[in-house]
Amino acid sequence: MAEVRLKNVTKAFGSVTVIPDLDLMVPDGSFTVLVGPSGCGKSTLLRIIAGLEMPTAGTIEIGGEDVTDEEPSKRGISMVFQSYALYPHMTVKENIDFGLRLAKTPADERERRVAEAARILALTDYLDRKPGQLSGGQRQRVAIGRSIVRQPKVFLFDEPLSNLDAALRTQMRVELAQLHQSIDATMIYVTHDQVEAMTLADQIVVMTAGRIEQVGAPMDLYDRPQTVFVAGFIGSPKMNLLPGEAAGRPEVETVGIRPEHIRADTEAGDWPAVANVVENLGSDTIAYVSADKRGELTVRLPGHMRLRPGERLFLTPESENLHLFGENGQRVGPGT
Amino acid sequence: MQTTPAARRLPLGERLRRGMRSGRLTAIALLLPPALILFTLFVILPLTESGYYAFFDWNGYGQPTDYVGLRNFEQMMGHSAFQTAAGNTLKIVAVSLFLQMPLALLLALMIYRRTPTNALFRLVFFVPYILAEVAAGLIWSFVFDGNYGVTASIAQSLGVDSFFILANRDWAFVAVMTVIVWKYFGFHMMIYIAALQGVSEDLIEAARIEGARRVQIVRYVQVPMIKPAIVVSAFFAIIGALQVFDVIIPLTNGGPSNSTHTIVTYLYTFGLTRLRIGFGSAVGVVLFLVAVLVAVFYQRFAMKRAET
Repeated sequence: MAEVRLKNVTKAFGSVTVIPDLDLMVPDGSFTVLVGPSGCGKSTLLRIIAGLEMPTAGTIEIGGEDVTDEEPSKRGISMVFQSYALYPHMTVKENIDFGLRLAKTPADERERRVAEAARILALTDYLDRKPGQLSGGQRQRVAIGRSIVRQPKVFLFDEPLSNLDAALRTQMRVELAQLHQSIDATMIYVTHDQVEAMTLADQIVVMTAGRIEQVGAPMDLYDRPQTVFVAGFIGSPKMNLLPGEAAGRPEVETVGIRPEHIRADTEAGDWPAVANVVENLGSDTIAYVSADKRGELTVRLPGHMRLRPGERLFLTPESENLHLFGENGQRVGPGT
Repeated sequence: MQTTPAARRLPLGERLRRGMRSGRLTAIALLLPPALILFTLFVILPLTESGYYAFFDWNGYGQPTDYVGLRNFEQMMGHSAFQTAAGNTLKIVAVSLFLQMPLALLLALMIYRRTPTNALFRLVFFVPYILAEVAAGLIWSFVFDGNYGVTASIAQSLGVDSFFILANRDWAFVAVMTVIVWKYFGFHMMIYIAALQGVSEDLIEAARIEGARRVQIVRYVQVPMIKPAIVVSAFFAIIGALQVFDVIIPLTNGGPSNSTHTIVTYLYTFGLTRLRIGFGSAVGVVLFLVAVLVAVFYQRFAMKRAET
């Protein structure tokens, strides 16, 4: 177990700088999720931590040790790839203990570690199969098993669930959370899916254009986004972002209000609107509405509220739940 | 093409009726005959004819009438030049498999990544393969020429006596094999490059994280991943080695004293140029049988295993 510390890390590919001067601290034993839109540099950052990419400048410390120039295998890390990166010509067992065999670990120790990993990941019955004979979820578990047996200080995950279908993804998410609880190691996880970030992380790092927008606990980011970007990125459905003037707060540039913080009524309210599209999800109803002078808004309503497209309604934002952002996109007012 | 078990169980009449309805039979009736006719005319007939001529003493003019039974085969087997030629062919097979292919793999591993420099090297290494065999043979015969060739210049600049490698019984075939390796390694290298480019970079990175050194990545990841390509390239190497002909003719013409013949140049020299078509056919039949045996064995064992 170890903390990971990045200091002034810069990465450029030729003349294109993808990460301009970044600092980050991943606490020991935390589950840190790097999240951001495609191309924001989160995978590059993970690969820099893994040692698969060299930073153009800056240092990487793992467990207090400078590993910037260290080979990937000497950093005490393991990595689970989006593609699983399993060797199709090896059995599950051979895939899992590949690194141990390379390190010339004694056979009985290898057996013990593989058996333990297989037990944790429910792979015991599949050890003699080839990856081609496994389902997507099982393959993912083999990839995780390969990480576990190395007993790394830091686990790295590069979008490990994006090749799985929705049901399996939810299941694997739970399994990953349980795994983190049971082995208590530092985990760094890259995803573009903010639901994964919210559910798994105890620290989320929101990135855009190679920069860190905000670091914090999931609910911290949800309740107090420090920038317009974080406000729009964290939360599903997305936060409504309105020009200050349109929202009746001319002193600020942008006003954010989450869909669940807008009350709807068919009789009276502050903002008259028309429903465009209505999605009944059972527990909630998500309505996409056009509000007069305020544009398109998303509203989360109670599950059994019946609303038809074209119907008129009145919206009242909860003033205590408004998020205010200044001209530079930074949060102003409460929660700054 | 795969047939589903259900379709296989249908009675013939029903299958024909269905085939008619789906237009498949019409397609077969239209498209199969041209191919079959061409194949029969240009492959089956000449093969059968040559099998027939192998039992005659015949100079290629008129009808073969002088039936000699297996005498052509007996003569061939007893001929020391044939034994040398067969041995040489085996040597080429061995050199192709154990020298040329590893060399091609080594170079492929060095230049398979897509970079401008690698593209240049790939072109340079592939040029010998594009060159016509006869041209390659001629070029190398100039290189090896002890009077006026590159060998002569080197010997002169070193101040030693010139060396006539192609006229030396012990070394001429080594020179021939060098030219063959030079000529064809680029082909195998290209097969490996294509296969290596298909190996996911994730697998290599995963191995690096697991602590694999470069050699171990090659040994445990890249070579197993491109095994099907290696098997195919070995097949081409063997079949190609059995057919080596046009490099040797301009280079040594089988000499000195028949020491550099392969089965095909032996066939050409002792069958065609001496107008002993019956004898040449007998050599051809043996070569054909060997090639078929290799192909069948290869299909059954090596390729099957590579697929699984």
